[in-house]
Amino acid sequence: MIYSEVSGTISEILVSHDQIVEKETDLIIIECMKMLIPVTTKNRGKIIKIYVKENDIINEGDKLIDMNYDI
Amino acid sequence: MSWEKELEEKVSREKLSENLGGKDRIKKQHDAGLYTIRERINLLTDKSSFNEVGKLAGHAIYNENNDLIDFKGSNFIFGKAKIDGRNIIVGGDDFTLRGGSADASIKEKHLKCEQMALSLQLPLIRIVEGSGGGGSVKTIETSGRANVPEVEGWNLVVESMGTIPRVALGLGSVAGLGAAHLACSHYSVMVKEKSAVFVAGPPVVEQIGQKLSKNELGGYEIQLKSGAVDDAVDTEEEAFEAAKKFLSYLPNSVYQLSDQIISKDDPKRTSEWLIEAIPKNIQSVYKIRPIIEDLVDKGSFFEMGKGYGKSIVTSFCRLNGWPIALMASDPYSYGGCWTSDTCKKVQKFVDLAETFHLPVIYLVDCPGFQVGLDAEKKGTIKEGVRAMSAIWQTTTPWLSIIIRNCFGVAGAAHKRGSSYISRFAWPSARWGSLPLEGGIEAAYRSDIENANDPKLELQKITTRLNKLRSPLRSAESFLIEEIIDPRHTRRVMCEFADLSAPLRKTGITNRTMRP
Repeated sequence: MIYSEVSGTISEILVSHDQIVEKETDLIIIECMKMLIPVTTKNRGKIIKIYVKENDIINEGDKLIDMNYDI
Repeated sequence: MSWEKELEEKVSREKLSENLGGKDRIKKQHDAGLYTIRERINLLTDKSSFNEVGKLAGHAIYNENNDLIDFKGSNFIFGKAKIDGRNIIVGGDDFTLRGGSADASIKEKHLKCEQMALSLQLPLIRIVEGSGGGGSVKTIETSGRANVPEVEGWNLVVESMGTIPRVALGLGSVAGLGAAHLACSHYSVMVKEKSAVFVAGPPVVEQIGQKLSKNELGGYEIQLKSGAVDDAVDTEEEAFEAAKKFLSYLPNSVYQLSDQIISKDDPKRTSEWLIEAIPKNIQSVYKIRPIIEDLVDKGSFFEMGKGYGKSIVTSFCRLNGWPIALMASDPYSYGGCWTSDTCKKVQKFVDLAETFHLPVIYLVDCPGFQVGLDAEKKGTIKEGVRAMSAIWQTTTPWLSIIIRNCFGVAGAAHKRGSSYISRFAWPSARWGSLPLEGGIEAAYRSDIENANDPKLELQKITTRLNKLRSPLRSAESFLIEEIIDPRHTRRVMCEFADLSAPLRKTGITNRTMRP
């Protein structure tokens, strides 16, 4: 599970369900304190569930994306 | 006439002491993937360097003729040892004997360990598992009365925070006084999935209606984020390496200075990529750690507290071989804004540098304090002024390099009032009381609202003001002393380290640091 490390607004979602992404891929962009902060996956995996949509206001610790790394 | 017989008995008792809590308990410890305390000390310290103190102290059982039947050592083992050829004091809990609790402890050993490190002015490494010599519920039966709570010897712990480096390794379940010892250190480490740290463990917490596993209650993800523990590693061996690395930057005590080591890295080395390290788009972030790794002596970057107060990276490093306390903003966390946790982290870090006379370098990209309801609820401004005060109270040489944002009260904390610091800026630097992006709409509200095309008016004002914020215009008024080529930053930092070395002064600081 990938959680948000900051509070802010979901600016852009760069991936979709079932997509396989390589490690270090940017998944979501969060606008926070006027900056655009990418949320990145540390490992290769498949997107299982996306918990947010664009323009959602999120808090630190909110669920963002569930990934399956056993692929 | 000889004393051989007496010596034989001593050796025999020492051997019994090495049995710890017995074969079954040792097996249980190993089955849990954990080392025993004696194995830990052997792995941590230089071969055959451990000189134990009080190996004969423990709990003996005698028969009716007063002959010894059995002997179990105390569950706290300590002594002098060497790591990397350097003297240290090490003390640790034996979890195989009553879970490290007071029932099988001799409290004087804990006190003597603290006293020894403080008096000999040597770094102390505490290996903590269990309750660290604290009481258990069963203590009332063994002692026959209830204790009025007291932490005997805590004055030594407090004094040593301002005198000698204290490292604490939490290598299993750590609770109560053990957790206090872990938290009361300059640097603490736990092992992922093996260690858990809490004031009270799951069975106690269940009594207040929280049914949680050890990891859910006090696993590394909880404690790193809370800032109670500095780092987590995968194995006990890595925890020992982390302790050694941390100590390698520090003197034995505040009465000494850290040594320069021979550096093979050219202090004048330039890095071409740094000219484009900061994105032109002011909303885009960049990774600060590769920049730090490039600037410092190769392989010397040692980060502490990565999981906490993330807007600031706090680290030790070397520049031309000199140990330096380096902090840097991380725009990936709140754009580098100082959150309440960041402020607490800064306080501890600059106190640490001041205590052990390490010059400070700060790579500044701070748009200000975090703003918003969350920030207010967490008392950001209160922690912010405490962090600022900690910086203002430092006397150690200080270099700030403004690499991007420097705004507001938090931005001003890159220096300590009007006292001299070395200061430079990159051409990407931007500063002011408030970032334009956050303030134009408010400051020019009536102009924008009264304009025929408010959007166009906002754009016009932004363009007009942006022209004024070049750092070169500030340099005209000597508001910034020098703007440097980012590619030559390492040379500037190494020169600072060379110039600072003879300025460092030994001794206890006026206000000793709290954990």
